[in-house]
Amino acid sequence: MNIDEIFDFTSFTIDREPHIVLDTKVCIGCDNRGCTNACPARCYTWSETEQKMTFVYDGCLECGTCYVVCHRDAFTRWHYPRGGFGVAYRMT
Amino acid sequence: MTRSFQVIVVGAGPAGSSAALTMARAGLDVALVERGTFPGEKNMFGGILHRMTSIEEVFPEFWAEAPLERHIAKKGTTFMTGEASFHVQHETVSFDRTPYNGYTIFRPRFDRWLAQEAVKAGATLITRATVEDLVYQDGRIAGVTILGRTGRISAPVVVAADGVLSFMAKKAGLRRPSFDPGQMAVGVKALIDMPREMIDDRFGLVRDQGFANEFVGCTGGVRGGGFLYTNYDSLSVGLVFHLASLRTSGKTPYDLFNAFLEQPQVAKLVRGGRLQEYSAHVIPEGGYAMIPELVGNGILVAGDAAAFCNATGVNLEGINLASHTGILAGRTVVEAHERNDFTTKTLNRYKERLNFSWVMKDLKGFRNAPKMLHIDRIYNEYPDLVCSMMEHLYRIDGTPKTSIPKLILREVREKIGLGKTLSDILTAWRAL
Repeated sequence: MNIDEIFDFTSFTIDREPHIVLDTKVCIGCDNRGCTNACPARCYTWSETEQKMTFVYDGCLECGTCYVVCHRDAFTRWHYPRGGFGVAYRMT
Repeated sequence: MTRSFQVIVVGAGPAGSSAALTMARAGLDVALVERGTFPGEKNMFGGILHRMTSIEEVFPEFWAEAPLERHIAKKGTTFMTGEASFHVQHETVSFDRTPYNGYTIFRPRFDRWLAQEAVKAGATLITRATVEDLVYQDGRIAGVTILGRTGRISAPVVVAADGVLSFMAKKAGLRRPSFDPGQMAVGVKALIDMPREMIDDRFGLVRDQGFANEFVGCTGGVRGGGFLYTNYDSLSVGLVFHLASLRTSGKTPYDLFNAFLEQPQVAKLVRGGRLQEYSAHVIPEGGYAMIPELVGNGILVAGDAAAFCNATGVNLEGINLASHTGILAGRTVVEAHERNDFTTKTLNRYKERLNFSWVMKDLKGFRNAPKMLHIDRIYNEYPDLVCSMMEHLYRIDGTPKTSIPKLILREVREKIGLGKTLSDILTAWRAL
């Protein structure tokens, strides 16, 4: 299974408005950045050279991992997508 | 626009729909609010629905009415390393008879069915509705607002069945504002397509029999485990990781998952299958210590939202607790409506009902299980010990054999240490 191909096997209806908003300035000083490895959909990537956190919500599985592992309170918004948007499981 | 009901249930999962069903049958005007386009669309779990005795009271022929996959007739546990595995298995004809002990199911199908049963009983299902906030009036709960919609849904009482992160419980001040990653796990799962005959032959199944297997030692040293469950014509295969341990490991769920699928003995089990769907979800695994305040003024918390999940390492139970607590919450709301009193004092009857039920008794009885599951040696050293001992026992190589007690002592000393092993046994004894 290649996580880069997540859109090939899980369905999403992506909202224009992100349901999670991250204050990436907070991530710069983070000693841990557990979100980057713990997120099962690899939504968080940290660039060591740019010292920058990138977050994409498109492939978010709404699992809650980042909400639990972030100990810096980096989210300015964390709620589930509006009704009808986000991940849509067919048989899980 | 404001619509008024006698009660609002947030979340049409097993807890919410069981609550809605109970209250609608008792004649209450129920709003069952779900953020998915249909109930079950957002729901993910490992794959086993344990027997639900309280649902069987409502549906005496549950196994014939509900959209289920196979019933679990066979259970196995595998201790494994990167190249070896030791497998134990239990099977009995009594698990092959109704009432079955458990089933595999698909949530988009099962949760939808249960919610529809609530609708049949008179509940109003409102889908595509993410609840944003609780509305208070004169210090009392008066309803909820929906994200991206104007107006509100009104009711004097709310059942929060909104899942593990329960923002309802948070907004009502019933749970702590943040979670302890040490009390949480994340499960990742792949649904793997496989012809029915291939599954029957490979796992030794006939008719609707199903097989459930758990794996230990497959998580790269991260606290957690693996699972493989048989559906009719697919396998649910996945790993569960404790979040505190996963976070510090620096390892990723999908890399560990790929390594698991490629382990030689696991690879044989999934060979010929095709990946259908990938999913993930957080699980409240903190047990008794994690349970939030369950009742507030005009609000009750049920299911995962209340951390009602029993992960003992033997069975991983969630939906049966969710459904039962939903029913108990529902009964309490029916009673509150009879008295027209939704204060904490009246709703506290829910806690009494819970304390009297198997749910609380189990969670209390196994309250030390999370501590046991925090022994890191379970996930690496012990599976390695078991596999290595078996290899020594079976190996014939022209050298004199060591006696079995000597072998055990030597292996335990080398791999773990006697003191640590004894202390781990004691911890496990207390926990189980």
